[in-house]
Amino acid sequence: MSRWFFFFLAIAFGIALGLLYGWVGNPVRYVDTSPDTLSRDYKSDYVLMVAEAYKAESDLAAALRRLALLGNSPPGDIVREATLFAESLGYSDNDVNLMRSLSAALESGAQSPGTPAP
Amino acid sequence: MRSERRGPWYLLTGLVIGVVIGVLYAWRYPVNYTNTSPAALRADFKDQYRTLIAAAYMANGDLVRAKARLELLKDQDVYRTLSEQAQRTLAEDRYPQEARALGLLAIALGQAPPTIALASPAQTQAASPQATGATLPALTSTPGAPQSGTPASTPTPTRPPATLAPTFTPLPTRTATPTQGAPFILEREEQVCEENIKEPLIQVIVQDAAGQQVPGMQVIITWEGGEERFFTGLKPELGLGYADFTMQPDIAYTLRLASGGQPVLNLIAAECEAADGSRYLGSWRLVFVQP
Repeated sequence: MSRWFFFFLAIAFGIALGLLYGWVGNPVRYVDTSPDTLSRDYKSDYVLMVAEAYKAESDLAAALRRLALLGNSPPGDIVREATLFAESLGYSDNDVNLMRSLSAALESGAQSPGTPAP
Repeated sequence: MRSERRGPWYLLTGLVIGVVIGVLYAWRYPVNYTNTSPAALRADFKDQYRTLIAAAYMANGDLVRAKARLELLKDQDVYRTLSEQAQRTLAEDRYPQEARALGLLAIALGQAPPTIALASPAQTQAASPQATGATLPALTSTPGAPQSGTPASTPTPTRPPATLAPTFTPLPTRTATPTQGAPFILEREEQVCEENIKEPLIQVIVQDAAGQQVPGMQVIITWEGGEERFFTGLKPELGLGYADFTMQPDIAYTLRLASGGQPVLNLIAAECEAADGSRYLGSWRLVFVQP
């Protein structure tokens, strides 16, 4: 009976050792990730950058190319979600408006493909 | 007696089973990369992130915000990384506007003294080849240097502080924008014999009509079988309108400004005589001005 007890105790000790190694000794270090894994606040700022650049360049294709790095979701959804999150974080009105403008441009671009961006 | 002969092997067996369970668990539920920071991005994604920062900077002119964003990437030397990426992008010739944005952001950072310090000459030796003066001092960002208006980055993902609206910074690129107007002409072409310049350089200085040096001017150097493009102003410590290129012996180069004007032909590294009578390859200095 005590042999079984120590047997399971050894298993538990082994798991604990593994977790200790994995979480403390040699924890996962995130490297070589892609932008779609960024946390929401970084994604929001990324979308803001796209919106800022779009305001100056009026290049919808470039904006789409940049947004494509944030995942497979439709670009409009990405921008909308980022805008909502930006509002919840208290981004300035100016920044939020830029993101909304990009969202509107994406919508109008999606409705009439081939139309030059405003 | 029998159990004593078995010894502690059952403990080892339990340990191995525990480790196997742990590994199987790890494989069944692999690491899901979420909530990462820009610093963890793969190198090519970091390049694209940097390009976007530069594009946004060109749009809003907010250097504080651009610096806060660049800090998220945790580059060891922000200035050099930007400069090198600008040169790479320029060489690829796919997105010249992005190359220009990167170059101008690098220049703007080079002009921001609080975060920049002169590097030792030894550090300079690690500079990139060709269109960098390996013998010249370069700029590096100072780790841990206080940055006005930019709180230190924290491990917790936080919105870059500079996104707060009131922190608009006057647009440094106002001074970095090349002057519009007449094409630049070659005012002076002279051989430079300075022993402290270890490699033969083509030094380019571009000035506007008012005598102010002009950053962000694209310079094109061609030779048989090759071409290199770079910008003025990426070594602001040597002048905002300065750029240089390392020559190889016995190769004739042709240099021109991308904005137009007469090309300078047949630039070859010529010999100079040192004080002790030894000979070394000298440099060329070309000064372009706007009439």
